[in-house]
Amino acid sequence: MSATADFLPCEIEACDALTAFGDAQASLDGLLAGRKALALTPVLGRAGGDPVPLALRGSLDETMPPRWLGAAQMLAGQWPEGRWGHGRTPVVVTSCNFGVGSLYAYQRERDPRHLEPGAPHAAVDLIRRSLGWGDQLSIFSHACVTSHLGLAHAARLLHAGVADRVLVLSFDFLSPFVTGGFHSLKILNTGFPAPYAVRETGSIGLGDGAAFAVLRRGAAPSGGFTVEAHALFNEMYHVTGNQPDGSGFSACLAAIATATGGRRVWVKGHGTGTLEAGRLEAEGVARQFPQAPLVSWKGSLGHTLGSCGLVELAIALRALRGGRIPGTVGSSGPTFVDSVALEPFGAASFDGAVLTSNAFGGAHAALLLSAA
Amino acid sequence: MPALERYLHHVTVDWPSPDETAATARLRLADRFPRTALRRMTHLGLLVGHVLEGADLGPSDAVVYATTFAEARALEEYLVSFPAASPLLFQTSIHPGGVQQVLIPRQQSIARLWPMAGGERLVEQSLLAVLLEPAARVGWVGGEEKGTWLCDHGMASPLAFAFCARVSADPTGAIGRIGCSPEEEGDDPCPSLATLARALRDRQSLSWRSAGTCWRIEWS
Repeated sequence: MSATADFLPCEIEACDALTAFGDAQASLDGLLAGRKALALTPVLGRAGGDPVPLALRGSLDETMPPRWLGAAQMLAGQWPEGRWGHGRTPVVVTSCNFGVGSLYAYQRERDPRHLEPGAPHAAVDLIRRSLGWGDQLSIFSHACVTSHLGLAHAARLLHAGVADRVLVLSFDFLSPFVTGGFHSLKILNTGFPAPYAVRETGSIGLGDGAAFAVLRRGAAPSGGFTVEAHALFNEMYHVTGNQPDGSGFSACLAAIATATGGRRVWVKGHGTGTLEAGRLEAEGVARQFPQAPLVSWKGSLGHTLGSCGLVELAIALRALRGGRIPGTVGSSGPTFVDSVALEPFGAASFDGAVLTSNAFGGAHAALLLSAA
Repeated sequence: MPALERYLHHVTVDWPSPDETAATARLRLADRFPRTALRRMTHLGLLVGHVLEGADLGPSDAVVYATTFAEARALEEYLVSFPAASPLLFQTSIHPGGVQQVLIPRQQSIARLWPMAGGERLVEQSLLAVLLEPAARVGWVGGEEKGTWLCDHGMASPLAFAFCARVSADPTGAIGRIGCSPEEEGDDPCPSLATLARALRDRQSLSWRSAGTCWRIEWS
């Protein structure tokens, strides 16, 4: 198995996120303090069920208007002005679940207002109309690597001369539809996630997340940040599993490693708290980046699903600016590999960071982030 | 918008009879899939599997997958499975299940999978993603399955169909071409996914203009 990286450097003009802690800076502060946003919550909201670890920005139950619409409006106050969705300033929207949770609300309550955002394009159209965008927008949905696809597509639009600036928006808010599904898979259980930790039972936590980035073609000026390259790979081994030899992880990580060009990097991994995937991922990172500390932030923020790649990029940018990288909150030793960083560490001795995400179907994504 | 062009090399469309269901599609296409996979596949997965057969994609290639509603029947059934949510239907209803249902049983890795959702401009945006993809061979795949009660609310497709066009930058032996070029005037509606599938099935050319660009699908 092999993959190649797209070397399409793009300046990050602006980037921010919303998690259960607040914006990217508040999320970073929570992580550096070792706090968990996850709290045990009935898996089906008002309808009850097992208590599972969720990091929410409000009620799990569906609302009208949907909670993610308010998050998009809040983020819109942070991104630069532009004729978004028109001409040479297109928008890329990514999500795993869009507004599908509202269909379960309709199923229960038969209130037709819940139908409006039920399909992906309908959910995005609600945001589009609310924010006054034009219709030049692309929508991607590839489970938990989906925001990486949005960023990679934006880089292609910029380097092909199709766009001057691209706004990438990613969101995934929890609902009983989603939590019920993960609970049925038994990976969302009563345990809190401990990414990369050796233990008897794996468990994940889920979180609300939304984030945006505005990208321009080329490297950032001094003081800025650049997404240098992207790598993607789809091993197609099993719906929820990976090649037992870790070759799927290795294919994507090897591709992004070629882009690092000798830079000293740290790695923000996917690290949801599952055992087998966590072990394969940690071992793959240790093979490709033997000197790099590996961290996951999902033991605190929860897994924000399709938005996680962009949410964690926004936090990584704040961490690099502040000079301290959060450790793997929620985990304690022993870990699958020695390079897992449990505590925060300084950013000064690194030239860049590799950020990775993985998804159902053995989908892998990675990007290389560097500071100018 | 710069001018971009690629070539069509292999096109397959499955446009079943309107009354076909997943169960009858399983009978029609039974010999094309492993038996263990067949019983779990959705109608859309079966149709996508059929059209992907001749695409000849390898681990360095890419797929751009366009669907507005994806696995509508799995979604409908998942919704009624609550409060005992079905793990199988949850997995199946997750976008982009149609392609993964096919490639996983075949153990067929691919470099990049670009699953795209969308409404009015889905064809245009997926065409752009195909034109920007540098892989030697790109599968431009799309389709829908017919919903039931979600269809009544505009949340599922009234039609079932799937298409796959293998695209490359090599004109040798091409049966058609796709592309876009700058065009000052015009603001046409973008063809629907079903219109695209019919045009591919019937080898009809398509062109439309939007946002300073002319988009086209032409046959040799």
